[in-house]
Amino acid sequence: MQHARPAGDGRADELPPPDDYDRLKDLLLGEEREALDAAQARIAQLDRAQRELPARLPDAIERAQQGAGAERIARALAQPVTQALGAAVRENRQVIVDVLFPVIGPAIRKAIAEALRGLVADVNSAIESSFTPRGLRWRIEAWRSGVPYAQIVIKHTLAYRIDHVFLIERDSGIVLDRESAPDLPELDGDAIAGMLTAIGDFVSDSVGRDGDNTLDSARVGEHLLWVVRGPRANLACFIHGVPPAGLHALLEQRLEEIHAQFADGADAGATDAVWRSLLRPERLTRDVRDAAPAARARPSRWPVLSILLVGLGLLAFFAVRSERWNARVDELRTRLAAHPGFVLTGIEQRGRDALTVHGLLDADAEPPDAALRGAGAEVPVKLDAVGYVSTDDAVVARRARRLLDAPAGVTIAVRDGVLSLDGRAAPAWIDAARDRAGWIAGVRGVQFGVVAETDEAAIARDKLDALARTLQTRRVGFVRDVELAPGAANVVDDIAEDVRNALSYAKTAGVGIAWIAVGTNDEPGSDEINARMRADRARWLADALVQRGVANVRIAADDDVESAQARQRGAFLRMVPREASR
Amino acid sequence: MNAVARKLCMLGDFGVGKTSLVARFVRSTFSEKYLTTVGVKVDSKEVALPGRTPCKLVIWDIAGRSNLDALNMTYLRGASALLLVADGTRERSLHAALNLLMQSRTLLPDAVVVLAVNKLDLVEQWEVAPASLAELRRTLPVHETSARSGEGVEAAFADIAARLTA
Repeated sequence: MQHARPAGDGRADELPPPDDYDRLKDLLLGEEREALDAAQARIAQLDRAQRELPARLPDAIERAQQGAGAERIARALAQPVTQALGAAVRENRQVIVDVLFPVIGPAIRKAIAEALRGLVADVNSAIESSFTPRGLRWRIEAWRSGVPYAQIVIKHTLAYRIDHVFLIERDSGIVLDRESAPDLPELDGDAIAGMLTAIGDFVSDSVGRDGDNTLDSARVGEHLLWVVRGPRANLACFIHGVPPAGLHALLEQRLEEIHAQFADGADAGATDAVWRSLLRPERLTRDVRDAAPAARARPSRWPVLSILLVGLGLLAFFAVRSERWNARVDELRTRLAAHPGFVLTGIEQRGRDALTVHGLLDADAEPPDAALRGAGAEVPVKLDAVGYVSTDDAVVARRARRLLDAPAGVTIAVRDGVLSLDGRAAPAWIDAARDRAGWIAGVRGVQFGVVAETDEAAIARDKLDALARTLQTRRVGFVRDVELAPGAANVVDDIAEDVRNALSYAKTAGVGIAWIAVGTNDEPGSDEINARMRADRARWLADALVQRGVANVRIAADDDVESAQARQRGAFLRMVPREASR
Repeated sequence: MNAVARKLCMLGDFGVGKTSLVARFVRSTFSEKYLTTVGVKVDSKEVALPGRTPCKLVIWDIAGRSNLDALNMTYLRGASALLLVADGTRERSLHAALNLLMQSRTLLPDAVVVLAVNKLDLVEQWEVAPASLAELRRTLPVHETSARSGEGVEAAFADIAARLTA
């Protein structure tokens, strides 16, 4: 290195020549210059390395992942990668979504397909089981337990899997045996069993202070833990899904068998083999499945059949009883509907053995007691009737008879609402009846045929009465049997004349007359002979009157009182008045 | 060769380093939150012993306290060994450990007991006098440990395993 010497400087001549100067610097600063050169070379090397780092980094990472360094670099990168991923999600969400979409889409589709496949299987199972004996049994179980039928179906049809079975020494929590389903990740069974024991103790100490309350089960999502307790060891069963109740019973049974080996003091190696056999998850699952049909076959069918028979009997009994009851009610309804002056509005059933009949009843109608009694003496029937005015012909006739107060010689009839009045009555009654007949409720028209009684009729009735008394005194005498006494034939002629007169008077009076020939006898003689004698004499008189133009003469009966009490041999004719038009 | 499993309970006052010793010795399965909730955390580790059956230590790390309550006594049931832990920088923690030993003896009269005096990395601050330790060694196996550096930890657990399988 050449150093310029300044012009006009007097001290320049005092400086050493350049070569000497360099040698001097080397002597004084040689080490520092070497260090400086080395530092500059190092800096240049680092700059070069930094520039080359992006190109060399992938190779470096690949080399670091070989051998024992793989775990170290994974640990070293875990935190920054996690933070970088979080930052990327926050700042470049769409990019992350786009990148993950091809992965997430198929995963979601697969999960949905699996879930739907399970759902379809469950629904198929439910539908298939709806009308089978098993389905009916599940329905009975749902009805008995109050749980919805769908839950019962799911409970019986969902698959389950036993993940782990631990046999744990009760006091220490040490695992005596552990069996796990294949393909499950390895786990620290001793630590899990210890923590399970500790948590069980903690729960028991915290909430089960009376000593009997222990942690028997726990559920987290679809995972279920059952703890079956024994005096020396507990069984802990980790299950995925919904297990059948029979599995718990089987676990209890297995724990009892294991405790029996404790008591026997069996060899440790032998017990280990037996425990492994007893607690293998696949064997437990198989045994539960095999035990189910046996359990179903065990119950006798007779109780079910008996219940069915009793049920059918009761059903038939109630059906027959209901049919008979309905028939009885229908019959009552028919009778009440046919009863004049009553309108049935309803039959109310109070319980199984009582009726209330509701309806409308006319005051002039016959009470419907007879119709109500027809329902059966053992059935109390209460009548709840409200008054009304009936237009039934029979009831209208009764109403007219009550309101008109018709005399004996007047007949009353109603047909299709038309009131017909016939016969004879006093003129005053006739006048009143004409005024009132048309106003009677239910009467739409009046046919008035009543004739007024006159004085001739009354006189004729009086003469008839006199002739009747006269005929009682005209006695045809007999000497013996039917041999006439002297003058008896004239008496017969007089009787015939009276008959003809009486018929004339009867026509005028408007009355009818019947004739009865009566025979009599004296005291001697048996009753039989006297009865025959009376009959013969009555028949003789009737024949004699027929010969004289009097027809329709009847013979008196054997027990006629007047005939038996006469006490003389003879016969007479009795006049009996009768209603002319009735 | 199948290991023999034995239950080991860690006993000691609060803050003496029981959990740190366990963490140094095993790779924990469960979170330490169980210590504050349930009061215990369980881990396990198999210890190989030359010429003997391996011993699997099921380590119950019981939450630190100077007296045992009913629940802690329940946790001690079935234990084969006790690892008493004291903090060398606190003389009182040694007394607490010995007090816990006396309480547990009623339940575990035959358990193997080992004392670990922890925090050897702070030995210059120890309050426990060497003479006291020498006196204790006459009745108990004593190990000086450091959970921070790991010094003496493996030896303490190996000692217990050896005594359990002896």
